[in-house]
Amino acid sequence: MKSKYKQRFFWGILLAFIWQLTAVSGIFSELIFPGLDQISIVLFKSLQDGTLIKQIAFSLSVIAQGLFLATIMALLFALTAYFSSTAAGLIDTLTALAHPLPGIALMPLILIWFGSGRMAILIVIIHSVLWPLSLNLSTGFNSIPDIYTLIAKNYRLNKFEFMYKILIPASLPYFISGLKIAWARSWRALISAEMLFGAINSLGGLGWYIFQRRVFFDLPGVFAGIIVIIMIGIVVEDFIFAKLENKTVKKWGA
Amino acid sequence: MYTEKLEKIFKEIGSVSMKKYITIIIIFLSVLLLISGCVNNEEASQQKITIAEQYGLAYAPVQLIKELNFLKAADPDLEVEWKQLSNTTSIRESMLAGEVDIAFMAIPPFLIARDKGMGWKIISGLSESPLGLMTNREDINSLADFKTDSKIALPQPGSIQHILLSMAAEREFGEVDRFDEQLLTMSHPDAMNALLAGREVSAHFASPPYLFLESREEGIKKILSGREAFGGDFTFIVGVSTEQFYGEQPQNYSNFLEALGKAIEFIDQKPDEAAEILADNYNLEPSEMRDYLSWSGMKFTSKIKGLDKFIDFMAAESYLEKNSYQYSELVFEENLAGEKAISEEGASQNEE
Repeated sequence: MKSKYKQRFFWGILLAFIWQLTAVSGIFSELIFPGLDQISIVLFKSLQDGTLIKQIAFSLSVIAQGLFLATIMALLFALTAYFSSTAAGLIDTLTALAHPLPGIALMPLILIWFGSGRMAILIVIIHSVLWPLSLNLSTGFNSIPDIYTLIAKNYRLNKFEFMYKILIPASLPYFISGLKIAWARSWRALISAEMLFGAINSLGGLGWYIFQRRVFFDLPGVFAGIIVIIMIGIVVEDFIFAKLENKTVKKWGA
Repeated sequence: MYTEKLEKIFKEIGSVSMKKYITIIIIFLSVLLLISGCVNNEEASQQKITIAEQYGLAYAPVQLIKELNFLKAADPDLEVEWKQLSNTTSIRESMLAGEVDIAFMAIPPFLIARDKGMGWKIISGLSESPLGLMTNREDINSLADFKTDSKIALPQPGSIQHILLSMAAEREFGEVDRFDEQLLTMSHPDAMNALLAGREVSAHFASPPYLFLESREEGIKKILSGREAFGGDFTFIVGVSTEQFYGEQPQNYSNFLEALGKAIEFIDQKPDEAAEILADNYNLEPSEMRDYLSWSGMKFTSKIKGLDKFIDFMAAESYLEKNSYQYSELVFEENLAGEKAISEEGASQNEE
C-alpha cells in the first residue's frame, strides 16, 4: 500500500515537471497551456475567497443526497425483485432499458419535466446510480450460498429478520463494489450535468465553476477546477472506500 | 550527475528497472512532440479559409457570402470551410486552437479574450440588432418588479446580454450584479421554449429571430430593449480574425473583407432578393424573412458603434483588467469599419 503512494507521488512529480517544462518552453501559447504556477495561483485564490469552497460544498451535497436516495431505491428494487419473480421481471426490464442510457442523453427531457435546477441534477445522478447499483445488489442476493437460506429456514427467521441478518450482510461485497461503481458514475454525471444546466443562484457546483472559468477565458481557472475534481475523486476512492472495505469485507473475510 | 540522482530515486522506488522508466518517459515526450507537430501542420495550409457560422438573423451577411459564393468569386482556388459551432465560447476556443480563421460574435466576448491576451482583432462591424428582455409574467413590467426567485435566461455569463443587463442594473439601481444570482445559462432556442412553457424561466434576453417569434406570442412582453440598456446604439455582432491569419494569409484576408463588404451592401440594397435567398437558410417564408430583415432596429453595417462604451463599462466592473485600448489594438489596420480613433467614435456616438 505504502509503495503505491510512493510511486504515485513520484510519477505525479515527474508529470508535473514535464507539464511545467512544456509550459515554460513556449511550444504552446500560454493561453492554451498554462503553467502550474498560474494554475496554483488561481486555485489558491478561488479557495481563499470562498467561491470554490461553496461550489465544492454544493457538488458534494447534491451527490450525497443523490447517492443516498438512489441507494435506498436500489435496495428496495433489489429486495422486491428477490422476493417476487413478477417484480423481478419488471425491474429486469426497466434496468435493461435504462441502464445503457447515459444521463446526459435524457437532458432535454429532464429540462422539460423538471426544469434546470438542483432537482434536474439530482435526477441525473439518481439515474446514473440506480441501475448499476440494483443490478449489483440483485446479483449479490442471488449468489448467496444455499446453506445460508437453509440456516434461515432452520431458525424460522421471518422475511425481515432474514433480510437484516442474512441477505444484506452476506451480499455486502457486492453492495460495496456496487457503491464504488455508483460513486464513479454519479461523480461523472454530476460534473457533466452541472456544466450543462447552468447555475441556479450562481451556485452550480464544480462543473459550473469550470464552465464559468471557460466562458471568461480563464484556462488556469479551468485547470484549477479539474484538479479539485481529481483530488476529490482520489480521496473518495482511496480513503473512504478503502477504509469501508477494510472495516467490513476484508475484516469479515467474505 | 543528473542521471545518477535519477537512478538513485529509481533505486529507492525499486521494483521496476530504470530502463522501463526511461522508455515510458521517451514515449511521453514523443507523444507531446506529435501533438505539437499536428498543430503546425494544420496551420501550414495556405489555400484554405475556415469560417465559423452561427445561427441568428444578425449573421445574415455571412450566410449570404456562403449562399452566393462570394469567396469563390474572389479566388476560385480558395477552399472555404464553414464550421457550425453552437456558442461563442467554443468558437473562441477553436480560433485559439488555430482551427477557425474568421468568426462573428458580440463585442463583450471578444473583449474578454482580447483582455486575457488572445491575439485577435476586429475586421468589421456586421450588424446592429434589436435585443429585448422578454417576460412571460403579468406582474413584471420593469426591472424593479423582478423578485429574487424569478429566473432570467441568457446565453452565458459575460455575453452581450449579460453585460447589457448589468448596464441596466447599474443605471437603475446602482447595483451591477443585482440579477447575477438569478441568471440561467441557456441557449436561445431552449430559453424560448422555457419562456413559452411558462415554467422555470420568467424572462429571456432574446436576439432575433427568437425576439421576433416571442414578441408575437400572447402574454409575452418586452420590458427592456438592448438600446435602453446600453443607452444608445451599439454594434451587436462584429467580425473577428486572428493576428496570425492576418499576418500569414493577407490575400485571403482581403478576399474575405471584399466578400463581406459585398454581402453587407447586397442586403442593404436588395433586401427582397436577399430575403429570397436566405429564407431557406433560416427555415422561414420569404415574406417573413423580409419582415425580419427590415425590422426596426435591424441594420447591417460595417461601422462599429459602442466599442468605447463597452470597454469603459467592462473595465469599471472588472470584467476587463485593462481599461484603455488604442483603436489599432482592437481593429485590424485593413478593415471595413473605417479608420477612426476610438475616442472620436465615442464622441460621434453621443451625438446620435
